Amino acid sequence: MSETASDPLAEILAGLPNTRAVIDSVLAVWPEHAAYLAKSLQARTPAMLAATEAAATAVRRLTAGNEATVAADYRWTCDRLREEELFFHREERYRLSTFAEAMAEVYSDHAYMARYVNGLLLTQVLWFNHVATFEMFLNRVLGAQTQPFDYLEVGPGHGLMVYFAAASSLSRSLEAWDVSAVSLRETAAALDKMGVEKPVSLTEVDILKAGQSERRYDLIVISEVLEHLERPEQALRFLTTALKPDGRIFVNVPLNSPSPDHIYLLSSPDEVTALVEGVGLKVETMELYATQAKKLESALRNRITVSAGLVARRA
Amino acid sequence: MSSAEILNELREIMIDVFDVDDLEVTPATTAEDVEEWDSLSHVRLVVAVERKFKIKFKNSEIEALKSVGDLVNLIEAKTAA
Repeated sequence: MSETASDPLAEILAGLPNTRAVIDSVLAVWPEHAAYLAKSLQARTPAMLAATEAAATAVRRLTAGNEATVAADYRWTCDRLREEELFFHREERYRLSTFAEAMAEVYSDHAYMARYVNGLLLTQVLWFNHVATFEMFLNRVLGAQTQPFDYLEVGPGHGLMVYFAAASSLSRSLEAWDVSAVSLRETAAALDKMGVEKPVSLTEVDILKAGQSERRYDLIVISEVLEHLERPEQALRFLTTALKPDGRIFVNVPLNSPSPDHIYLLSSPDEVTALVEGVGLKVETMELYATQAKKLESALRNRITVSAGLVARRA
Repeated sequence: MSSAEILNELREIMIDVFDVDDLEVTPATTAEDVEEWDSLSHVRLVVAVERKFKIKFKNSEIEALKSVGDLVNLIEAKTAA
């Protein structure tokens, strides 16, 4: 038996040392996850594998010295997600529906949040649908900019997308907003660890309470945020006022994605289009990626998570 | 319902949940034998079985399931109760 046959990942991961390191750290604490990860990686195009390695390189800087804990937290997070999956398929709804509930159960529990945030960080490398929308962001959102651009991201989390926006030679200014000062401090620390090359303005803003934006931007990113809001259309309506006339907004939102703090359920691409276009935006392109690269039609029918990445402009 | 009848019903559910055209299932079949049977489709399988047989599994029971035979036995015990 060849080495490739005994380790189906070896061939794919040749030349992707940081991806290999992240995967090895997870398999050390969760060997049974190997088949899942093999399938996730085998489904990726060369461009997706390049995006995987880019994400893994940043992730390794963020987790340096802490790899085993983060890997254990990823496993723990997957256990929590499986509990939510069970509830979702039994009840056909997300378990929580208000921000107050999510605050009480998840956001205010610092020990829980620390593990959960670590777990989610590794999904940026390990999950097909997350890597696929990240590849879209790198190559067809950032990569489509032809002129210098002013960048705004809402809910930057670990700052991976801000970091790559900063790495673009065309980014002129970079801002990131979050409703939580604690989250922004973590974003700042993460950007430092990754070695961000340009200044990033981090501001505490509640876009649900803001009126009109004072500044306007060429590229606005809101990734994996809308599903955490009771009224996502309010956030999008505000962001529409923050777009320059020719500006573009990149929205990444998952369908049928039960998580401990997801409160707004979107079940179909049509619902996403209606949400975005209902606030005066026009969707230009939408890309859909199902968990584990499952067939889209089957994933939607069976309520398996699908990530929707879309680019829109003011209508 | 006999074990054989439960197994047959289970096969139909698995074909539907795993979205495959056909599936050969025996009590010894495990997730390793079925490419589409992963941790996520396992959750949907369990919920589809709960609906079909009008039963509910505990989390500990779901985690302990290792084979189709385990699932048949559990369904038999729950529907007989």
